[in-house]
Amino acid sequence: MSAAKTGPGSPGITLGSDFRSTYATLLILMAAGAYAIGARVLGGLNVTGLTSITPWGVWVVFYIFFVGLSAGAFLLSTLIYVFGMHRFEKIGKEALLVSLISMVVALCFILLDLGRMDRFIYALWFGNATSVLAWEVRFYMLYILLLAVELFYAMRPDLVRLRGEASLRGRLAAALTRNRDNLSPAALERDHRVMRILGALGIPLAILGVHGGTGTLFAVVKAQPYWNSALFPVLFVVSALVSGTALLMVLHIFRCRRQGRKLDLDLLRGMGALLLGFLALDLMLEFYEYLIGAYRLEAAEWATLASIFAGRYAWSFWLIQIGLGAIIPVIILARGSRNSAGNLFLAALLVLAGIMAVRFHIVLPPLALPQLPGLPWGHYGPTWVEWVSSLGLMAMGMLLYVAGTNFLPVDGTAEDERSGNNG
Amino acid sequence: MKDNDQVHWAMVIDLQKCVGCDTCTVSCKAENRTPPGVTYNVVTEVEMGTFPHITRVNHPRPCMQCDNPPCAQVCPVKATYKMENGIVAVDADRCIGCRYCMVSCPYGARYFDFGQDYGQEMAGYNHLTTPEYGVNRGIRKKGKTPAGTVRKCHFCLHRLQRGEEPACVEICPGDARYFGNLTDPASVVARLAASIRAMVLKEELGTHPRVIYLK
Repeated sequence: MSAAKTGPGSPGITLGSDFRSTYATLLILMAAGAYAIGARVLGGLNVTGLTSITPWGVWVVFYIFFVGLSAGAFLLSTLIYVFGMHRFEKIGKEALLVSLISMVVALCFILLDLGRMDRFIYALWFGNATSVLAWEVRFYMLYILLLAVELFYAMRPDLVRLRGEASLRGRLAAALTRNRDNLSPAALERDHRVMRILGALGIPLAILGVHGGTGTLFAVVKAQPYWNSALFPVLFVVSALVSGTALLMVLHIFRCRRQGRKLDLDLLRGMGALLLGFLALDLMLEFYEYLIGAYRLEAAEWATLASIFAGRYAWSFWLIQIGLGAIIPVIILARGSRNSAGNLFLAALLVLAGIMAVRFHIVLPPLALPQLPGLPWGHYGPTWVEWVSSLGLMAMGMLLYVAGTNFLPVDGTAEDERSGNNG
Repeated sequence: MKDNDQVHWAMVIDLQKCVGCDTCTVSCKAENRTPPGVTYNVVTEVEMGTFPHITRVNHPRPCMQCDNPPCAQVCPVKATYKMENGIVAVDADRCIGCRYCMVSCPYGARYFDFGQDYGQEMAGYNHLTTPEYGVNRGIRKKGKTPAGTVRKCHFCLHRLQRGEEPACVEICPGDARYFGNLTDPASVVARLAASIRAMVLKEELGTHPRVIYLK
């Protein structure tokens, strides 16, 4: 905890004076996003670049991107709470918070994408046992609930300790822990048990339900040979681990720098090693996915791969997905313990950009192709409404993160204070 | 639908008789008064062979009304479903507009209603709507159903209910389209479907289309 900077009883400081410019930037982006969302609500999907040939666009791209961030961050937290890798303890609660926020952002994206936003509740009210999407919506709800409960239990001891603080944060802690302020060893042991159980339940939920499920959503579509592969859901889970780890590194380094805290290089290098492993596995799976897809010589898949490797998406594939998003980070991360925090930050940020490109290359290329010879091709280009609303939603996620880490005790448990070397 | 139990509607399109005049497309737009960007029926033109050994095939494409419809399989709210009479219907009052069915259709037969209209070109366009699926929706307005939902060919169900053929079948100047009950072996469509010339699109996907082509 940055006790030196944010002393108890000084409510002004808990707002995060170090983050004033961040808040200002985010609020401006959110205002612009709100304007774009207003245009979308009034104009319907007519304000987008979508057509009946390319019915899914950047909102779906960002939806799967954020679902992946959420699943990845959550799975990282289970390394600590379920598998006992206490090396990463310090980032556990932050991982749960990031996972929760990413999932909320993902759902906002998909809400924005619905042709009839007013009917979003139908997705829960009505169902269809053969629809992957119908299952997904329910898994998302369960998952959000599980994340919130697990995060609460992970923070409970610190929330109880904060109750006395005469600040907004203290009052929030008091409200959250009303009737749940027992800190006896038995109660703490129960907390740990609850978290182990929730974490263990969460692993199949996150892998099979949330992100593997999102991959399945695409994989079952036999009309799109490029998606129709059993490797797709696995690829989704592995790329989720890659992007979730990278996001946590980026956010953690950014926040610690802003708060003037000393970075725990051991922790970051450990995460860097994890990231390298996940990235290597992801690249291997991607290689097989492309190789076997191309080898089929199936016309639609061939045309899709051609547009990625040597067509419209060649620049973003070779430059962003492969060059900046994979090769450079692998070179940096392979340096292992010689890396500074700045290097690790750069590598993680590049990996995030690379995975975002991966998401673009999943959704858009196959949807440009006509389903039958003679039907028109899709020429989708996102409109300003799609870009600005997306920026706004991402800014909202970042704002929730900055505010969440300011108002909730996500780092610095008593145990961490003892073992850690942060100032 | 009780008395329809034995009926399984199907369409046969003779590609040798199709001259590519697009009258079916126009009559469909007129009958269903579909907005800009929504075209239940199209006629594609596919060039085959290499010059000088070349031929052109005109290929009308309504909805295939599959017996194993991938669109109905993926719909999260069962807004699109297979009716007992074989038609794949869309409940515009339930559709949430997620467009999962559109990316899942192997025939590109589904269209999103972006809420546009021909009001600029055609006075009173919005005032006369077609009672698709037997539902009279009155004046077409921005944001009002079916705007914001997915639409498709439904074999002119509202015409079938009045005992008429689909508009495209009735209008075809070359008589290239046949319509009838596939479960009746004596029907024209059943006899043509048994022809050696009969084929369906993307048979390998196992969708079992109810639109059969004679090549």
